[in-house]
Amino acid sequence: MIGIVLVSHSAALAEGLSELVGQVSGEDVRVRPAGGSGDGGLGTDPDRIAAAIRAADTGSGVVVLVDIGSAVLSVKAILAGGDVGGIDVRLADAPLVEGAVAASVLAATGADLAAVAAAAEEARDVAKL
Amino acid sequence: MSQSSELRRTVTLPAGVPLHARPAGNLVRAAAALDATVMLSANERTANASSILQVLALGAEGGATVEVVTSGPGASEALDAIAGLLEALE
Repeated sequence: MIGIVLVSHSAALAEGLSELVGQVSGEDVRVRPAGGSGDGGLGTDPDRIAAAIRAADTGSGVVVLVDIGSAVLSVKAILAGGDVGGIDVRLADAPLVEGAVAASVLAATGADLAAVAAAAEEARDVAKL
Repeated sequence: MSQSSELRRTVTLPAGVPLHARPAGNLVRAAAALDATVMLSANERTANASSILQVLALGAEGGATVEVVTSGPGASEALDAIAGLLEALE
């Protein structure tokens, strides 16, 4: 089953979203938050993100969703650095909340990495109202 | 196998029970286990039951009328399963 990592500048945001997503997708999907900087402030921490990716992977791959700005750069740096080598990671170009819900629910159905990433990215085009 | 024709049934959600996030998640997972394409219509919108965001965007409130349309080899079973799930929301 595909794992999901939620990267936010805020630890509270990532953890809260992780809780919400778990309620919708069920307990089978590994959804792991990676929020905040290493010193507990606002920011993104490569080590924390890498650890979350490793924790989310069950061998099938991981879809990573990010909030804004440098979160993208942090994830790209990790992927380029080989810290999570051997894990098939897809960074989704998607809104964080809707993308996380869509991806995790699809992951719960046993869908593959490409399909779960596509579900997250479809969130850009689904009207909320 | 050739595509079987569409089956459809109109159901009413229980009063006071909207199709909100958690039941929508259950519905998407149930639909994924079926060998059928499942479409839902409500409020003049249509959603593929494989997309939770589309299902949520239906904005189906408690008591709302939802049309379930299924197609594919498992269309009949899917119609019963999804219609039953919607009518039993709690």
